[in-house]
Amino acid sequence: MSSVTFIGEHLFWGNLGHTAVVVSFISSILACLSYFFAERNPLDQSWTKIAKYSFHLHSLAVLTIIASLFKIIYSHYFEYHYAWQHSSTDLPVHFMISCFWEGQEGSFLLWIFWQMVIGQILLRNAKNWLNPVMAVIMLSQIALTSMLLGVKIFSYKLGSSPFELLRNVMANAPIFKTADYLSKVKDGNGLNPLLQNYWMVIHPPTLFFGFATTVVPFAYAIASLWRKDFKEWLKPALPWALISVMVLGAGIIMGGFWAYESLSFGGYWAWDPVENASLVPWLILIAGVHVMIIHKSTGSSYIVALGLIIATFLLVLYATFLTRSGILGNSSVHSFTDLGMSGQLLVFLLVFVILAIVLIAMRWKLMPRSAKDEEIYTREFWMFIGSLVLVISAFQVILTTSIPVFNKLFSANLAPPADVIGHYNKWQMPMAIIIGVLTAVANLLKYKKNTNEALKKMGLYALISLVITLVLYYAFDLKNYFYLGLLFAGVYGITTNLILLIPFLKGKIKLAGASVAHIGFGILLIGVLVSSANKQVISINESGTALNPEFNNKENVENIYLERGKPNKMGDYIITYVKDSVQWVNTYYQVNYKKLNKEGEVDYEFNLYPNGQINPKFGLVANPDTKHYWGHDVFTYVSSVPSGKAESKYINEKTHMVAPGDTIYTNNGYAILQGINTNTDANYIDMKNFQVLLGAELKVYTLDKVYDAMPLYGVKDNSATSYEALVEEAKLKFRFVEVNPETKKITIVTSEKDTSGDFIIMKAIVFPMINFVWAGTIIMIIGFFLSILKRIKELKISN
Amino acid sequence: MKKTSIIALILIALAIGAIASMYGDASTYENFEVALNHPGKEYHVVGVLNREKEKYYDPQKDANYFSFYMVDEKGKESKVVYHNPQPADFERSEKIVIVGKMEGDHFEASKILLKCPSKYNETEVKT
Repeated sequence: MSSVTFIGEHLFWGNLGHTAVVVSFISSILACLSYFFAERNPLDQSWTKIAKYSFHLHSLAVLTIIASLFKIIYSHYFEYHYAWQHSSTDLPVHFMISCFWEGQEGSFLLWIFWQMVIGQILLRNAKNWLNPVMAVIMLSQIALTSMLLGVKIFSYKLGSSPFELLRNVMANAPIFKTADYLSKVKDGNGLNPLLQNYWMVIHPPTLFFGFATTVVPFAYAIASLWRKDFKEWLKPALPWALISVMVLGAGIIMGGFWAYESLSFGGYWAWDPVENASLVPWLILIAGVHVMIIHKSTGSSYIVALGLIIATFLLVLYATFLTRSGILGNSSVHSFTDLGMSGQLLVFLLVFVILAIVLIAMRWKLMPRSAKDEEIYTREFWMFIGSLVLVISAFQVILTTSIPVFNKLFSANLAPPADVIGHYNKWQMPMAIIIGVLTAVANLLKYKKNTNEALKKMGLYALISLVITLVLYYAFDLKNYFYLGLLFAGVYGITTNLILLIPFLKGKIKLAGASVAHIGFGILLIGVLVSSANKQVISINESGTALNPEFNNKENVENIYLERGKPNKMGDYIITYVKDSVQWVNTYYQVNYKKLNKEGEVDYEFNLYPNGQINPKFGLVANPDTKHYWGHDVFTYVSSVPSGKAESKYINEKTHMVAPGDTIYTNNGYAILQGINTNTDANYIDMKNFQVLLGAELKVYTLDKVYDAMPLYGVKDNSATSYEALVEEAKLKFRFVEVNPETKKITIVTSEKDTSGDFIIMKAIVFPMINFVWAGTIIMIIGFFLSILKRIKELKISN
Repeated sequence: MKKTSIIALILIALAIGAIASMYGDASTYENFEVALNHPGKEYHVVGVLNREKEKYYDPQKDANYFSFYMVDEKGKESKVVYHNPQPADFERSEKIVIVGKMEGDHFEASKILLKCPSKYNETEVKT
């Protein structure tokens, strides 16, 4: 290798980036150790100083890594493997940002960046908790930066560097024998088409910010154990935990938006392992926040609060292990390349698991416990129960998601359930009902002592909610009594929390975060219920019977074949595939929808443009298009398109003998012979050429339109000539071939345009009330935000 | 008994229930032989596409009928019917996982997962 001097490489940026990785790694070790010793020797200020400077150095190094990597992607330096693999020259700038975190290294970098930013904030705010908290965070930072090292230690490769050169990754490729190989590498592999979506620009940074924030409450919990201070940690940890709930929640739901907007499975949630892996820590964290509040208000449940907060971060690490070690294989839409780092990821996870277990074991006897039995008639009791329900719910999800892990551990051959949704629903639905009801019940109770007043309110509100539930049950046309429970849970939660909200509306809304968040949850619950229970696949072919007896005997025939220009009835719609147009790498298929009312007349119409990208690597990558109404969405995507274009050819000739008033049936519509015109004025024909010239007056009816057509028949000197009439839009041709004076009938030959090769196969789904899902989550997030403000204020007062 | 203990017991019961349900609902990776012996039960079968035999998809006749022949890891072949359009990139697949059950002479797949060569990890430099 060394004998060749390569031309045109920009080695500076790679060297800079790689050096910065090494500096960030070493400085994080230094900072971690210094914070550790600073905590051990509180009198010696020099440790704190060293820690601070090494952390600043670390921050600078992290920014340098990001800048270098972005420069490489932005300038299309394809000599770097990362740029070559994840980007291409035709990408717009905002997608280049997505390239940045398409690969494992980039997404680790994102996480490192956020953790660094959080560290900088803590440096200013953590006050007397700074040393132990930062020591823990820097430990996590050591682990994360080691993932980017890409350094061989003995025979083990530690991490994977984003600054690896293409010629080193594929050292054996013959192309690298030439010095000017770069002149031949003209373009990169480009961004995975599924990620070419604006949500992919903001979803990953939000999600990773969420992941990164979970380390803060964890660090406070560890610090609490370390210092044997079982009380004070809670105040600063609570706002951080809430920030984490908010950001992680926002990140997860953005993933849902992305899935709904750009994936063609038809929905926002698929119980995909990667989705589950981020949902589970979030659920545990919400449980943890509730128990923290219990602990803060009553002084009990310290161990559970601590355990849940610690579990959250460990679950984030476990999720990282699941999604990046390649253990999930092809069972997920988010496939990170396996970089052979599973060992390192496992060590990362185990270090923190062991650290937590050892510390808890050491402090077990010192931890505060309440001796007396729990009182049932209190808020804390039901909040606690609710938190446990969340834990069970999370446990069930992570259990099934971990099937590939159990296979590895016990060499079993289990596969995920065949009916994944049914499997999760039967657990999650009852849990959701309990939680919905508890958001009402627990909030009506006070801490510690209660009067009968609360019980009366509970009953009254339940009654009101029951009435509303029944009305909604019929309004939404739900057909399953089990849904009644879910609907009631949602309505009860919303009603009660709305009433609880009223006193806060006069300028004290900041204090009502909990009520707002719980209202959001109720709305979300109803949205999820109605949009999935009443989800309707409307792309079911109603036009005719199948030719092959083996066909169409299934219920799951959910895709419809649409020839260009030929209207098709589908549910309450008449749909027509109008045309296609190409934009950048995508082909957009214009599909016209005409909504029919009960009388069968066209109510309104709209066009959707689902697109497909015929990607050389991925085949057809379909992106749906959705028409949003306030009460429902019409969701459409192409599931298959022909490979080539059709020629204009008319086939399927049929002969019809008809008299005026008779009907001619074709596959594309029908025509009625109105009469025979003996006095045609067809100007394109020299009429003098004929002794007789007849025109068949046809009215042609397709599903949504009526056309006039007049094929002609001329006779001269015992020889007849036919002139075809073409109805372009209906794809029909009519030829007038014969007159039979005896039967008073004429013969018309019809033919249909051969449209094989000019069609799309598409699927369409109507989602009612899906806006409730989005509205519910947004309200929930506003609620979290208000709670954060409230807890930060409390923290400031107590300081 | 303290309420805390009752709660703990319920919690343990639910956890065991979740484990049992996970185990009970989980499908298994099997071959056609097993699927044939247990018609109606859903399995995951791993195999490769038999490229010698014809695969059938004629969207004009039925957009929701796709059939092909797959050879499982034990070498047994079966016809597979999938009541959906032919998955994109089917041709390039080097490994197929089908989820479904045996129905008469064919395997009725409800899901098809494709493993394509180097889908995310290009190993060749195109020039």
